[in-house]
Amino acid sequence: MPDTPLTIEAVSDEALARRIAGGPAGSTDAEESELYRRFAPRVRLYGRRHLRSDAGADDLAQEVLLLTIERLRAGEVQKLEQIGSFILGTSRMMCHSERRVVRRREALAARFIDTSVETAPPSLSALDGRRVAACLRGLAERERLVVLLTYYADRDAPRIAEDLKLSPGAVRVIRHRAIARLRDCVIGGGRT
Amino acid sequence: MTAPGCDRMTLAELTDYAAGELSDTEAAAIEEHLFSCAECAARAAELDALVRAIPPAVRSAQVGGFVTDDVLNRLARDGVHVRTFVLSPGAVVPCAVWEDDEVMVLRLRANFAGASEVTMSQRIAGNEVVRSTGHVAAGSPGEMIYTLSAAWVRQLPVVNVEVLLTAHEEGEERTIGSYTLVHGGALQR
Repeated sequence: MPDTPLTIEAVSDEALARRIAGGPAGSTDAEESELYRRFAPRVRLYGRRHLRSDAGADDLAQEVLLLTIERLRAGEVQKLEQIGSFILGTSRMMCHSERRVVRRREALAARFIDTSVETAPPSLSALDGRRVAACLRGLAERERLVVLLTYYADRDAPRIAEDLKLSPGAVRVIRHRAIARLRDCVIGGGRT
Repeated sequence: MTAPGCDRMTLAELTDYAAGELSDTEAAAIEEHLFSCAECAARAAELDALVRAIPPAVRSAQVGGFVTDDVLNRLARDGVHVRTFVLSPGAVVPCAVWEDDEVMVLRLRANFAGASEVTMSQRIAGNEVVRSTGHVAAGSPGEMIYTLSAAWVRQLPVVNVEVLLTAHEEGEERTIGSYTLVHGGALQR
């Protein structure tokens, strides 16, 4: 019985990297877009934590993935089975670099992929603001306040603990519980 | 590499990661895993989307509730139009919001000594329209800060709003503040 070819979404990260590395120029657009779709959210998340900037994180995701594809096509990625580690390493390197390669990014973007491709699942690309607000209102007062102080006022647990006369550990527990409830309310529960 | 059904990352860990409150070593371990596991990366992206939706929701002035000055300061930095009323016990204060106000802030002053929890009740013509229980914060001694949507206040008729603060201490309740907002309707510039 012949093997059914895998759809590109079902191909492993390693196989995807091999196709890009081994394919003739211009023949792996779908694979490059898929690699971007898979990893751009992770680089963006990494960038938000380390750069503390949404715009910086967006830039980082583009730069890292474009550089990764360039390196793949140039045969410069040695361990294709560890493509995730390569992308993380590149993220770390570029995040710590003071010289941001805007012009390089623009030149690479012109040569390779369309980085405007949607990378978030449709259910997450635009959460309903009214629903998020309603779900925030549905939290207990202390839970809501801890969430607002953490993710809106950018206060850390020790500072919140001091303000609310709690221990930092208690703040974290309240935050965990609150985020779980908020997620269940906004997105739907079922997972831990 | 995808690990179907992988549950190595707990929501608690991802929540702390999103809050930027893990040590460098802990964060690096999470990042190593996220870059090798599509399952956990998807869950992290889901949480990230949720966390990023919080600031716009707060700025929309549809959230409300007890807050601290840290939240008000961020609202001010974000350019949100805030109308503030400072109320001492027994105060009768003319109250109105302008058409461009987005958030109404009540700074409720009282003697909170011994109280850890306070319930605020707002009544119009004897009917309770808002009831909320908050914890006394150390950051704003002598007052609790409550926020309401200015849009909600604007739609009220010309009416008195009675505000009552009740402290809870060791199983007992005591009234620590009573205030009257004389709502004069929405104002236009």
